[in-house]
Amino acid sequence: MTDAAISTRKDMSERKLGMLLLLPAAVLLSLIVLYPIATLLFTSLHSVSNANPQAGEQWVGLANYARAFDDDRFWHSLWQTVLYIVITVPGALLMGLGLALLANKPFTIKWPVRLGLLLPWALPLVFCGLIFRWFFEYETGIVNDLLVRLGAEPLRWLSSPTLATIAICITIIWKSSSFMALMLLAGLQSIPKSLYEAAEVDGASKWQQFVEITLPMLRPAIFVALIFRTITAIQTFDIPYAMTGGGPGDATETLAMYIHKTTLDFLDFGYGSTLATLMFLLSLVATSGYLKYTRRSASRSGED
Amino acid sequence: MKLWKTLLTAALGVAFAANVAAQQTTLRIFTGGQQRPDVMRKIADEYTKRNPNVKVEVEVGGATSDAQQQYLSTVLSAKDSVLDLVLIDVIRPAQWAAQGWAEPLDSYLGADKGKILPTYLKAYAEANQVNGKLMALPYFADAQFLYYRKDLLEKYKRPVPKNWDDMIETARIIMDGEKAPQLQGFSTAGAPIEGTVCTYLVPLWGTGSDITKDGKLNLDTPEARQPFQLYGRMKQAGVLPKNVAEIPTDRIRVDFQAGNVVFAQSWGYFWNRVENDTDSKVKGKVGVTILPHDKGGKSATCIGGWQVAVSAYSKNKQEAVKFARYLSSPEVSKMQAIMASHLPVFPSVYKDPEVVKANPWFADALPVVETAKSRPVSAQYPQVSDAVRSNMNAYLAGTKTTDTALNDMKNRLAPLYR
Amino acid sequence: MGFNFNRKAVVWFAAIIVAVNGFFPAVWIFLTALKTETELIKSPITYLPQAPTLANFETAFTAQPILRFMWNSFVVASLSTVLCVLVSALAAYALTRLRMPYRNLIMSVLLAVAMFPLISLMVPLFKVMRELGLLNTYLALILPYAVLSLPVCTLVMASFFQDIPPDLEAAAMIDGCTRVQALFKVVIPLSAPGVFTAAILAFVNAWDEFLLALTMMSRVSMRTLSVGITLYQGEFAFPWPLISAALIIAIVPICIIIAIFQERVVGGLTSGGVKG
Repeated sequence: MTDAAISTRKDMSERKLGMLLLLPAAVLLSLIVLYPIATLLFTSLHSVSNANPQAGEQWVGLANYARAFDDDRFWHSLWQTVLYIVITVPGALLMGLGLALLANKPFTIKWPVRLGLLLPWALPLVFCGLIFRWFFEYETGIVNDLLVRLGAEPLRWLSSPTLATIAICITIIWKSSSFMALMLLAGLQSIPKSLYEAAEVDGASKWQQFVEITLPMLRPAIFVALIFRTITAIQTFDIPYAMTGGGPGDATETLAMYIHKTTLDFLDFGYGSTLATLMFLLSLVATSGYLKYTRRSASRSGED
Repeated sequence: MKLWKTLLTAALGVAFAANVAAQQTTLRIFTGGQQRPDVMRKIADEYTKRNPNVKVEVEVGGATSDAQQQYLSTVLSAKDSVLDLVLIDVIRPAQWAAQGWAEPLDSYLGADKGKILPTYLKAYAEANQVNGKLMALPYFADAQFLYYRKDLLEKYKRPVPKNWDDMIETARIIMDGEKAPQLQGFSTAGAPIEGTVCTYLVPLWGTGSDITKDGKLNLDTPEARQPFQLYGRMKQAGVLPKNVAEIPTDRIRVDFQAGNVVFAQSWGYFWNRVENDTDSKVKGKVGVTILPHDKGGKSATCIGGWQVAVSAYSKNKQEAVKFARYLSSPEVSKMQAIMASHLPVFPSVYKDPEVVKANPWFADALPVVETAKSRPVSAQYPQVSDAVRSNMNAYLAGTKTTDTALNDMKNRLAPLYR
Repeated sequence: MGFNFNRKAVVWFAAIIVAVNGFFPAVWIFLTALKTETELIKSPITYLPQAPTLANFETAFTAQPILRFMWNSFVVASLSTVLCVLVSALAAYALTRLRMPYRNLIMSVLLAVAMFPLISLMVPLFKVMRELGLLNTYLALILPYAVLSLPVCTLVMASFFQDIPPDLEAAAMIDGCTRVQALFKVVIPLSAPGVFTAAILAFVNAWDEFLLALTMMSRVSMRTLSVGITLYQGEFAFPWPLISAALIIAIVPICIIIAIFQERVVGGLTSGGVKG
């Protein structure tokens, strides 16, 4: 048999094997999310009049999307969401990187540090928001307490738009930096010490070592962490919901909160589905940059 | 022969058991965590004693109206038959009627309907009827009251205020006199929650006006500005907590209980906590009365309370309606009043000696509950509520002026009242 | 000598920062659990409880079946984690190691699934579970949770798999292994930190989840922890000391699990062997 024939045979069976290995994932996905997502897209093209829901769903084509375009509240919640993304994704990355580097040091007793690293992750999200809401409370919160002790005035954190946004961002960064740190720590641990030793011998400073060795080796881990932090950031709901309920007015309302309200509170499923689809498109746009990077790096490693 | 006898007995036994089982109905009722599911459990057990073929399972949902709505919206939109009865907030019947979630009870009650409805407090008989159809039966009542520190009023020789400006003045005098930095003059709900709708509506109703008139939006009147202007005056007088826009309902009670509030606008549950909690600093010092009004107006208060609705998707509607009627009876109302201090929906129960003994303040409560008004009745109530509370909250937080807040409210409500 | 001292100080400093950052809310919750409600609104606020009481812990246990909630959460989280890690390991291997067409498309589809907000999928998802007869069973949560973490776990493991040179598998296969055996005997052990990272992510995602748990499990005996704790809340009331006690009870087991697994995540299984 020729070499070409053997390699084609190998390719074919590799393909079959690949399909087989992907089958469980495909089955799970089809079973659980295929129908809901299809329904979502379908519903976004329909509308139910809330004053007369018994009339059923009417086909409205893209009218819901047009409505979103004119909807001030939609644009504001979108803007607020983008704000949270722009602040908390890099913020969490930086803090996570810092925490991971600190946690990577040789401790004699490891577990308190590792536990401290992961505890924010372990705290149920639902309560994270409530606890930090309490921290930022006007009279009984520790943040204002510390401010007063330092001689400053207490601030109305949760009832002024700018301060509330800051408080929410601090909470989100605190919670998600744990996730980032976890991803980065695993990456840090797989960087062989020999590289650092060699660099040390060559006379590189700590900063140079960081920039030339650590960061590049961490790139895949950073990349994965960023993608998921971004997707999650787009869906920011629990923390602002618990801390301000969207207030004051609608100042801190995110797109996810607006979708939640529209779907479960107003029972406007058609418009709610439209907003959800728009959120999906936003996620696509946001991560397309990352995806281009995958293609490049995948082809690069393929050349190995 | 013996074998034959055994088999026959066994077969009869099985048939008998199967028969009994076939007649046995299990009803599932959904209640929120705050509506005293433990008391509901006792009431359900009493019902089963009288109706042995009916078993009742009490399902406990999330504590707040919103949390319950999350669950119910999903399950009922999927037309699920898992629930037979649901305890719903007084603001929900119109929405449930429009969505087709509640089974209209008229045909089940027949002639009894005309007999039962007049025995309820008027506001509840009305709140549960949508377009002439009876969508739910009242379970327990609630309303907002003005709670005050009668010891402080006595100390400064001030009468119980009947209008808002008197209340502000009294609060100011007491605050100046006591010189306690934590003391607040008047506290009410200000966070973007349902209770804040009442914060806007109560002063508005006090002027005799309302959000709608004859089914049309009625916010172009000078009265519509009153609530904002009132709270503006309160802010200037310094009697409101600085973070009023953050205050959720229970915070008012916690502050009052610690002795830090002179006047508070809150619901029925307030009394029992501030009077009976072991760590309450204001035991014996609490007075309760109707909320103030503007000079020349009439006091009004916000109605609350919970109703029993039968799910339109239930597979046991006949039995469910029977149970609902039991839950909404004077006998059960009395049980609730004694076990849970729930305000009764029957005026007659307020005068029952055992009820009065358990809740002496009910005598003061009855006239207030009788004048309680409904929040706007609408199939789209959540949107109405959202428009009102969000703008009231923004005004209290200082991010919108009266004009902006009112305009935004009008703009949001306009499409709902076309 | 001086240099060593500096290094030790830095290490201790680092340890304290990381520990404090993670622990302070937990410590705060613990202290709150020992207080009474009125003490909470004193001004200026008190940090240490003035009259510590264990009453809240007692109430936390009796007011709700919290141990049952914890057990439910544990079952659902662990089984969905196992399922997710298994399925995503297979998928990640297929996508990084085998010559497959449309690799990037498949990866993108996987990612896309994560981009839809769960709230909007609730009603149809509820219907699916109802049709399958799975409501109020563990599977009603295990399956969706596995799907929820599938994208992130696959991506994490894929990125770890990519770093392992193919020669090692080739070596194993020459020795007579099939590809799948090579996956389980060679690739996975070498990417252990990645596997355990994925496992922890999936576990905590499942542990934290609220909306699905609220909707799929209506029976109190099947409730999970994240929903169960909200049941302590009242319509108007938010009993902080009680909820804090419940939270402490809830956090302890997960802390134990993390303490056990963190060694594996950051353990030196990759030192030597591959990159040496």
